[in-house]
Amino acid sequence: MYALCDVNSMYASCEKVFDPSIRNRPVVVLTNNDGQICAACGIAKKMGIGKKFVPFFQVRYELEKAGAVIRSSNYELYAALSQKLMDTCSQFAPHSHIYSIDECFLFYGKHATYVPPEGWAKHASDIRRTVWREVRLPIGVGIGQTPTLAKAANHAAKRIKGYNGTAVIDDNRTRKHILANMSVTDVWGIGRRIGARLNAQGITTALQLANQPPRLIRKQFSVLVESTVHELNGRVMLNWDEVRAPKKEIYSSRSFGQRITEALQLRYALAAHVEIASAKLRKQGGLAASMTIFATSSPHDSNEYYRKAVFHRFVVPTADSRLIMAACTQAIDTIFKEGIRFYRCGVGLLDLCDANNYQFDLFAQTTDDPNFMKIMDSINQKYGRGTVYVASRGVEHKFAMRREFLSPQYLTRWADLPRAYCI
Amino acid sequence: MLKFIPLKAQAGFTGFESPSAEYTQLDLDLGQLLIDHPTATYIGYAEGQSMVDAGIYSGDLLIISRAEKVKNNDIVVANLNGVFVVKRVDKPNRRLLSAAKGYAPYSLQSGDEFQIEGVVTRSIRLHRPLKATL
Repeated sequence: MYALCDVNSMYASCEKVFDPSIRNRPVVVLTNNDGQICAACGIAKKMGIGKKFVPFFQVRYELEKAGAVIRSSNYELYAALSQKLMDTCSQFAPHSHIYSIDECFLFYGKHATYVPPEGWAKHASDIRRTVWREVRLPIGVGIGQTPTLAKAANHAAKRIKGYNGTAVIDDNRTRKHILANMSVTDVWGIGRRIGARLNAQGITTALQLANQPPRLIRKQFSVLVESTVHELNGRVMLNWDEVRAPKKEIYSSRSFGQRITEALQLRYALAAHVEIASAKLRKQGGLAASMTIFATSSPHDSNEYYRKAVFHRFVVPTADSRLIMAACTQAIDTIFKEGIRFYRCGVGLLDLCDANNYQFDLFAQTTDDPNFMKIMDSINQKYGRGTVYVASRGVEHKFAMRREFLSPQYLTRWADLPRAYCI
Repeated sequence: MLKFIPLKAQAGFTGFESPSAEYTQLDLDLGQLLIDHPTATYIGYAEGQSMVDAGIYSGDLLIISRAEKVKNNDIVVANLNGVFVVKRVDKPNRRLLSAAKGYAPYSLQSGDEFQIEGVVTRSIRLHRPLKATL
């Protein structure tokens, strides 16, 4: 079985964790340089404000009139809370996979008959309650026999009436009920284009897609859509590394077969994640403005639990593996600790923007070499991943960017620790 | 992520050159001593005088655990109407108690926004200012 845990309106929810004065108010978060709206909390959405990707200056007056709390993106805070979220969730299952800054999959092993002693429904609500209590982030939990079904259950948990934040697909009746109430475009991996073509053929619900002959779907669409059909029927087809990256941020992370105890090995592992994540980033035509680099020991090992993450901001948003690797190499000294048996490491590229639309700063010119990266990617595509990769080099710059409405870095700067009042 | 490492305590090995890297494992880590549930713990500052009889002064560091079960008479940080407050909980009477003269108990009303954020498991007096925040 698989579980998918994801945070409701992650960025806006993070802003509320250490600022109780805004917990019951509409909160809207702006992108890089305060250009556009990138997230809005549930209260704001209900009020009909904070539509995504709308330029901030256009709606500033409207937001202020509605009493909305406006915040610049505080990626330092989001990355730190994300880490706590992942640590907390991963205690619930033997395997976990960080899918994005606010989503992780839990995997309970291949035994189809395994059921936790308390039952799946209770297990799901235990995860949800624990994350709220210990991290103060609201999450939805979906459990299913495949990653795609877990994702569907998660959708149901949040959107389908009768489910309050958790849903479990562990029998055929529930599977059919949830898939029948879900539109095909909400199925994981079905984009808008494929969705439109499916709709044209009269396939509008997820259940209708699940009932298509897989071979026919492969012929008409692709192997990927065929896999989705199998997954919707309970057959596991997806492997972590092949899982598509979401748009907003890209994570690459995994646990090691054997524990790692040497800095060099850790560096090789991180380098591999940099390659995977940055290739995905370039494929979607994006640039990353910041990244997080992390490594942990296993929460299931008897030794003391060790976890460390480093946040890095690029002077100029980049998609260049060499620059990303350089940042990663610098972080290793901070992350690595003698005597720790590392269990998992990874990188997350955050704060993504579109390479075609990015306006470069006159004083902070890019040092990316897109042509060189293109050659690298095409070689790797032809001869297999990792045929060519970067040896590292060190660069460090200062940066300046517009973050007028920035909240404190409650978890990552000593001077910014939250205040509790003895009044 | 909370950074615990900069607050390292040396266990009397100063003066010796550590003969091997292995010695780094012997460094005592204050975080390890003071924090029982790293993923569910956060650090904050106390501000104000209402808890001085419980030994919490303005400017003290508080270690707050969200993993701890709240027991009667625990000192907690709570969200009371949009402000983090430090109080002792009087569970049976649904009251928040201060620990200083001149601060009356607060009885929770039905319209109050109230959530316990975590239990104050330790408080630390900073007799000299912290270098890291200067």
